[in-house]
Order: sequence, then C-alpha cells, then structure tokens
Amino acid sequence: MDELLQFVITGITVGMVYALIALGFVLVWKSSGVANLALGQLVLISAWFTYGMLVQAGLPLWLGFPLVVLFALALGWIIERFVLRPLIAQPILSLITVTLGLGYFIEGVVTFIWPWSVDALPRLFPREPLHIGTAVVSQEYLWAAAISLVLFGLLSLYFKYNKMGIAMRATADDQMAVQACGIPVTKIFSRSWMFACVLAAVGGILMSSIGGITFGLVETGLKAFSVVILGGLNSFLGAIVAGPLIGLAENLGGGYLTPLTWPGVREVIPFIIIIIVMFLKPYGLFGEVRIERI
Amino acid sequence: MKSRRLLIVAGVLSLALVVATLPFVSACGPEAGEKTLKIGITTPSTGKAAEKGSPMGHANLDCIKYINEELGGVNGYPIEVVWLDNAYDAAKVVTNVKRFMDEGCLMFATASSAMMTASMEIANRAEFPGLACFNAPILHRPPQHIYGQMTDYGDDWSAFANYYMENIWKGTGKPKMAMHLLNNSTGYGALDASKAAADKLGIEIIAIEEHTATTTSEMESLTRIKALNPDVLYISSTPAPTALIIKNAYELGMYPGIPIGLGHAGITKALVDIAGADIVEGVYGVFPTANWGDDVPGMAKLIEYCLELHPKDEGNADYITSWAQSLILAEILRVALENVGYDVLAKGDVESWRAVETQGIQKLDGYDVEGLESPVSYTPGDNRLGKSLRVFQIQNGEIVPMTDWIEAPLVKYEEFEWFGK
Amino acid sequence: MDLPAGIRNFSYATDMAIFRTKTHWALLLALLVILFTAPLYWGNYWLGVANLIGITIIAATGLNILLGYCGQLSIGHAGFIAVGAYTAAVLTNRLELPFLVGLISAGVAAGLIGLIFGIPSVRVKGFYLAITTIAAQFIIIWVINHWSSVTGGFTGISVPLASIGGFVFKSEASQFYLIITITIICIFFAKNLVRTRVGRAFIAIRDNDLAAEVMGINLFRYKLLAFFIGCFLAGIAGSLLAHWIGFMNAEQFSLTESILYIGMIIIGGLGTTIGPILGVVFIRLLQQVLTVQVVPFLESTVALPAGFASGVTPMLFGLAIVLFLVLEPRGLAHRWMLFKSAYRLWPFSY
Repeated sequence: MDELLQFVITGITVGMVYALIALGFVLVWKSSGVANLALGQLVLISAWFTYGMLVQAGLPLWLGFPLVVLFALALGWIIERFVLRPLIAQPILSLITVTLGLGYFIEGVVTFIWPWSVDALPRLFPREPLHIGTAVVSQEYLWAAAISLVLFGLLSLYFKYNKMGIAMRATADDQMAVQACGIPVTKIFSRSWMFACVLAAVGGILMSSIGGITFGLVETGLKAFSVVILGGLNSFLGAIVAGPLIGLAENLGGGYLTPLTWPGVREVIPFIIIIIVMFLKPYGLFGEVRIERI
Repeated sequence: MKSRRLLIVAGVLSLALVVATLPFVSACGPEAGEKTLKIGITTPSTGKAAEKGSPMGHANLDCIKYINEELGGVNGYPIEVVWLDNAYDAAKVVTNVKRFMDEGCLMFATASSAMMTASMEIANRAEFPGLACFNAPILHRPPQHIYGQMTDYGDDWSAFANYYMENIWKGTGKPKMAMHLLNNSTGYGALDASKAAADKLGIEIIAIEEHTATTTSEMESLTRIKALNPDVLYISSTPAPTALIIKNAYELGMYPGIPIGLGHAGITKALVDIAGADIVEGVYGVFPTANWGDDVPGMAKLIEYCLELHPKDEGNADYITSWAQSLILAEILRVALENVGYDVLAKGDVESWRAVETQGIQKLDGYDVEGLESPVSYTPGDNRLGKSLRVFQIQNGEIVPMTDWIEAPLVKYEEFEWFGK
Repeated sequence: MDLPAGIRNFSYATDMAIFRTKTHWALLLALLVILFTAPLYWGNYWLGVANLIGITIIAATGLNILLGYCGQLSIGHAGFIAVGAYTAAVLTNRLELPFLVGLISAGVAAGLIGLIFGIPSVRVKGFYLAITTIAAQFIIIWVINHWSSVTGGFTGISVPLASIGGFVFKSEASQFYLIITITIICIFFAKNLVRTRVGRAFIAIRDNDLAAEVMGINLFRYKLLAFFIGCFLAGIAGSLLAHWIGFMNAEQFSLTESILYIGMIIIGGLGTTIGPILGVVFIRLLQQVLTVQVVPFLESTVALPAGFASGVTPMLFGLAIVLFLVLEPRGLAHRWMLFKSAYRLWPFSY
C-alpha cells in the first residue's frame, strides 16, 4: 500500500514537469502551427546556460535567473527570425525538419561549449523531502508542479482574454485572414517563440535541479511529446491533465509491471501510449479535430 | 536573388575544393622516415560518459607527452598516438579500431568496458591486441586478445561483498543485498560475479534493478527495493546515475540507513561533485589504483602535468587510471622492443601484433607502474594484468582507503552455462 | 529541360527509357568501370567509407520512397534499419543461417514492422505521423535492448562475416563489391518504381491524399505499401551494416541517426532518385573529412577548445539542414538539374 501512494505521488509530480515542457510546445503550436521538435534541446541549452551563469561565472541567483530569462527570450527571437520566418507558408515537412535540424545544431553547440556532458546545478531547493503520509516527494518536484499550474493559469488567461493572445489563436487558425486584418503576424510568431523558450528554460532549471544536467533532458523532452499527443496538440488544459496521467502510467505501470516483465518497462510506456492514442483517438483527449477539405 | 546565388555558388565551390584536396590531405601525415611506435587510443571524451572519458583522454595524452619529452620515448623511439574520440558510440569505436588496424598501430587501448565490448569482436578476429582500462568479465573470459589493465567489475563486487561480510554485517544469517546496475557491461560485470559467488559468500540477492546512463529519476525502482527491506545496496554504474540513485535513496529515507557499495566506475570525485558531499557521506566503494596525493613514485610527475595541462582534472581518480594505462602501454612496447627488435614492430601488421602480444604483454612480470596501481604481470590463462584493489569510503567529501591491497582471485566465468548469454 | 535538343524517339520503348542518348550510356559505363575498379587504387580506409556510403544510400533511398514520393513523414528510419540489422545478426549468429537468407529476411522483417507502425498513417498525417514514427523507433530500440535472450540485450551481439556459397567477404574490397552491387540494384529498383503505377499513386498521395482517394487510389493499400517498401530497403541496409561492422548494439540506432537520414534526403533533394545519393555522399564525406582530416589537422596547429571535435559535427550538420531548407529547399538534386540544363543550353543559359 505504501508503494502505491509513493508511485502515485511520484507519478503526479513527475508528470507535472512533463506538463510544463508540453505547455511550451502547445504554445508554439497554438500560435503558429509549427511543431517544435527541438523542444528537448532547448531545455538542454537553457539548463547549460543556467549552469554557465551560476557556476562558471559565479553570479548570484538574483542576477543569474533574469539573465537566463533574457537568454531564453533572445534565443526564441533568433530562432524565429532566422530559421522560421524564411519558411513561412512552406509545407509542414520543411517546418518539422527545420526544427529537427535546429535541435541537432543546438546539441552540437552544447557539446562544443560544455564538452564534459554531465554536471549539476548548485542546490536551489532545500534537500529535505516533504512527507505526505508514508510517501516522500522532493521539494523540486513540488515547486515544478506549482510553477506548472501557475503558468498554465497565466497562459490560459492570456490566450483567452489578452488581445495578443487572441491574435495568436487567430493566426494559428488562418494566417491570411489575420494578415488581412492588419495584425503583424511576424510579431506574433516572435512573441510565441520567445515565450516558449522561456517555458523551456524554466523546465530546464527545474529538471536539472532534480536529476542534474545530462542528455537525459532531451529524452524527457521526447516524453513531453507523449503528453502533448495524449492531451491534444492545441490545448493547455490537455497538457496539464495529460502530464500527470502519463507520469502516473509510467510509475504505476513501471512499478507493478517491472517485476513481472522486464526492468526498464517504465521508459517505453509513454511511447506505447502514443501508439495507442494514435490508433484510438488521434487528436487526443482535449484536442481539436481538424476537418480537412480538398 | 543575387546574394543567394553567390552563397550557393560559394558553397558548391568550397565543397568541390574539399573533395579535390581529399587525397592530398590524407597523404599528409607524420613525416615518413621518422621511426615511431604507433598505438591507438580511443576514449569517450564526449557523450554520455564524458565525465569519465574526458579526464581519461587527457591523462593518456599527457602521460605519452611526458614519456616522449622527458624520457625520450621508449628506448629512444617516440610513441606516436592515434587518439580518437568515440563519443560512447559502439559503431564509432568499431570504425576507430578498424582505422587503428589500417594505420599500422601495434595495439589499441580503450577506456570504457562497453566500448571494448563493441570492438573486441573485430580485434579478436584480426588478432589485434587491446588493453581495456575498465574491465568486465565478458571482455577477457574466455581469454583471447583483449587484456584488462586492472581488475574487473566482477572483482569489485566480490571484494566489496567480502569486505561487507567481514567488517560491516553484524547480524545473523544471510544479509539481503539489492543491486542497481547500469545497463551495459559495467553493471553486468557485477551481476555475473554475484551469480557466481553470492551463495558461497552467504549473501542473498533480493533485487536486481537496471537503469540507463541518462536516467532522471529512480524513485520508482528504489521504492520497489525499499519494500523488500534490503540490508545493503550495491550500485555498479558511472558517477552521474549513481549520484541520482543515492540522492533518491536519501529522499526515500533509505540512506543513511543501509550501507551502499559502489563499483570502481562510480566512486570518483565526479560523484562527489554531482551529488554533493553531504549526500554521499559514508558511501563505500572499490578502486584499483592509488589515491590522489599518495606517496608513490609516479605521483609527483602526474600531479605536475595535470596541474599544468588540465588543472580542472585535479583530484580525479580517472586521471590516475589512464596515466597508469599509458605507462603500462609504454612498458609493453619496451618489453616487446627488447625481445623482437624494432624491425618486426615497424611493419604494423599481424606479425607485429603477435609480437607485441606474445613478446610484450605476455612477458610483463611485476612492472610496478610507479606505484600508481598494484604491480602488473601476466599469468597464463588470466588476461587481467593488474589483480588487486582496495576498499574506500567517502568521508567529508574525500575518498579514503579503508583496506590495503586485496588480491582478486581469478573466476573462470566461461564455465558457468549462464555466462555470456 | 530534360534532354539535349535534337533527340527523336520512334517507339514507346525508347521514349520511356531511362538512358536515352549515347552520351548517357557512355557516362553510365564510365561510372560503372570507375566504381568496379575502385579497389585497385583506393586504400582500405576509403573503401570503408565507400561501403558506409553504399549502405546509407540504400537506406536513404528507402526513406526517399516513403517520404519524398509518398509524403509520409517518418522520423524513425534508424529503428527500421535496426530491425533489419538485428534480424540478420540473430539469424546468422544464433541460427547460423546463410547470409542471403539473413539479408532477405532482414528486409522482410523490417518491412513488416514498418507496415505495422505505418497503420496509423491511414488516420493521421504530418506531425502526428512523425511523432508516431519517433515512438515506433523508441519501442523498437527498447524491445531490442530488453529481449536479451535473442538479441543480446544491452551488451550487443556479434555478427559473422557475410558469405555466399563458400566465399567469405572478409576484406574491405570484397565487401565493397557486394555492397555496390546491391546498392545499384536498389537504386535501379527505386528509379523504376517511380515510373510505374505504384509510383504515380505515391506521388498523388503526397500531393493531396484526399483528392487521390477521390480519384480511386486505395489510400490504405498504397500508404502501407510505401511503408513496406521503404522499410524493406532499410532492412537490407541494416543487414549489410551488421555484417560490415561486425558488432551490433542498439545504441548505434539513435534518434539522431534518424534525423541525419532525413537531413540527407532533404539536402540531396526529396522526390528524386539522385537526391538521396547526392545527399548521402555529401553528408558522409563531410563527416569523414571533418572528423578524420580537418579536426586533427586543426588540433595539432591551433589550440582548440576541448569540445570542438565532437561538437562541430552536429553543429555543422544541423546548420547544413537548416540552411538547405531555408535557401535551397529542393536540394542538391535541383542544383544538379539546373547545372545540367545550363550545360545543355550553353551559351544561352542564364
């Protein structure tokens, strides 16, 4: 019974971290219809940049964090301006592939600047875990969950009520119509990429406090895709709900299936979920079904 | 439009230039005519195991530099090193070894046991001798052309298990051990040893869990282990995942509580850095080389070169391991040179490889490696050159030896029918 | 601008032929002669590079059929190559079946697995299909890693040398002949596939699958066929790869490899036969030149930061993919055709 509680708590909190990264993906998709396959690598480079600021340059937290946010904003702006803007209105294959190439490039940059591939951030959260009943959860996870929820709230409100947010939704729906209305589409793309990179940076900081900075961050980025697929590509609510669901499936499935089958079952569960969702309900739980016409 | 065209034309021209000069560039190499002894070294200096591979590559090259510049090479012949990074990728290491064979290297050396597992097939087929720094039973049982610089991961487990039974276990009956293994030969080496020896030692293995090198959370597997109430936990892995597991164990309240033992791949300074000295306080581990700062003949030069060339690696036990490896490589070449002469070795083909193996490696007898590890010798039937190790414990962020040199007995794993399957 | 001026055809056969002018045939013969006598003047090292290029071309041609001609976004190609490689490895190592049986079974096995994971393509496309194929790759690699009794698990499995009849392909040169022959057969197959009904159906599906369905093309059948053929070729490539390297480990088939394959065919030019060849040669040569010649050369002359050697390769490739997509989305093949037309129209080309 104890294990069940532990698995559930771990699952939900880990899932909230996935949800945080998934929010960044949904943001870009909702506003520009571009699938950002370089998500994991953006998380990675933000984590390393944080390391660079806090450890290598030795800056204090109150100076380091704003710099990381600035870096993320700048990165998002650069990506949109130089990589995506020339490809506006290209077929989706080009857009997806260019983000793949971008991800590859970012991995190379990370290996180039920080070739020792594995390191740790200075301790940002107290190390004492919190006790919930008989289960424990480390503070980093709780902070991650809390931050995800806050960001989800902010983003939903922004997209629903803010003028810019509504403009973003309109752009994802029909670019030409939006341009006809006089809304600067390029500014919208810029803004959404910048926000997405900031989200990735926050996710990166949280995840590296949990497990250190390794290439595992990229794999966690891939698991965020399963969250996005399950929840629906253009739904923030979907991301927040699907995140813990995937986390639960991973930990409960892994926890109870592993003694029966093979060790390591936990890693493959998110991907099996993707395949199952594809067969049953491709647009996810809360996603919008697109109706295609010739 | 014009500027785009210009860009494309420039790109095509540069590509053509590169392709055209390929044959010439490949012809440029070391000046022909200079007599050298060529060896190949490949380390995972980038990629998933870079926290070990990077200092190891540095140490290999620094030591060769020391031998060439201050000792005048091996009996006057400089050692020429073909050093290639394998990024912890099995296909890359195979192409690297093929290249070593093509370029006339006399033997090759790897850092990681997983990389040697990948390349031992073609090396054994071609009779190209190899020296594995980190060793696992599968590399040298049954013995062929791959030699281990030190004891293997199986020996680590046996040594720790023995130490635990004699010094730490105070209860009655059989202690329950849980094992957490990296999913390659590093982890499986320990598993092989436990399968061969646990019963004899009187230890009951209650749980075997696996993890990947890039894992971000092991709460789930540790929860399962915790439910089985183990008395001791053994982790055979590299520093980064080991740090994560110990951290998770701390969060679950398992540690401090039950003793944790590590294989020699995990107990290095990188572990203390990544996890934080307070979390890993009191963790045991096994390591087969000297400690940083020990009073042994080879330590002074090692420290000098490290501080001058790679100061960030100071205090890292992997640096010592690879420096020792280069010393052993030089000694093998020296012995071979004395036994067969330079002309046989100059050819760099199968004849030379056989000479290096039978007249070099297999004639090693008590070379002291300047005190940096236990003396290396070859005994027929046992491809491990170094056979002793020590048990350590992390105290106040320092890795402190708890025992003297313990000799690890030879285990003929191939006699077990489950071995290698 | 496909042919020089002045070509007249008097029968359907000559009109439909691939090689139409005497120059075509002459160039083809010259190329074949150069290729088959290559081992005489190329060292072992360059033969090895050529072998890797040959194997990659086979896999890239498969991906081109799937992605370039049929428009199915598949980012899991390395996984299907892994299926082929491991099938061949297991059949020749554990069951000791002959090499040719392993080769064909590898292709069939990979094709079948591709077929299964291609079933969602009937319902989804674009990004959804891409994610499905990424998931497929991870599942395949996971199964390979954990089915240790058969595949050797994480440790890996060794592969005996290829042999036909009694002849063992031990040297780099003999493997070169084997690989080049199979590569030429595959390229020929791909080129002809496009010109048949099946190929035209693929192109119709790529351009607008709803319209194709309305026209009467059975989407289910043709999409799955595309997956099968594309992954069949990947399986063949995998089998050759297994025998060439000699040791199989699932880590060789990472997502990065899949991305590299997509990069290769995009740089080469989607939807053309020569595209994959150009793209593969470009990328593999760049890899070799960078890691083998340029970087050690630079490292011995200039003090470089530590991560240069392994960081510069992904950086350059990622950059190449991005630049090609932005500046020349139709790839090197397009440039090649422009060059050919300019050559033919000279001095009137512009």
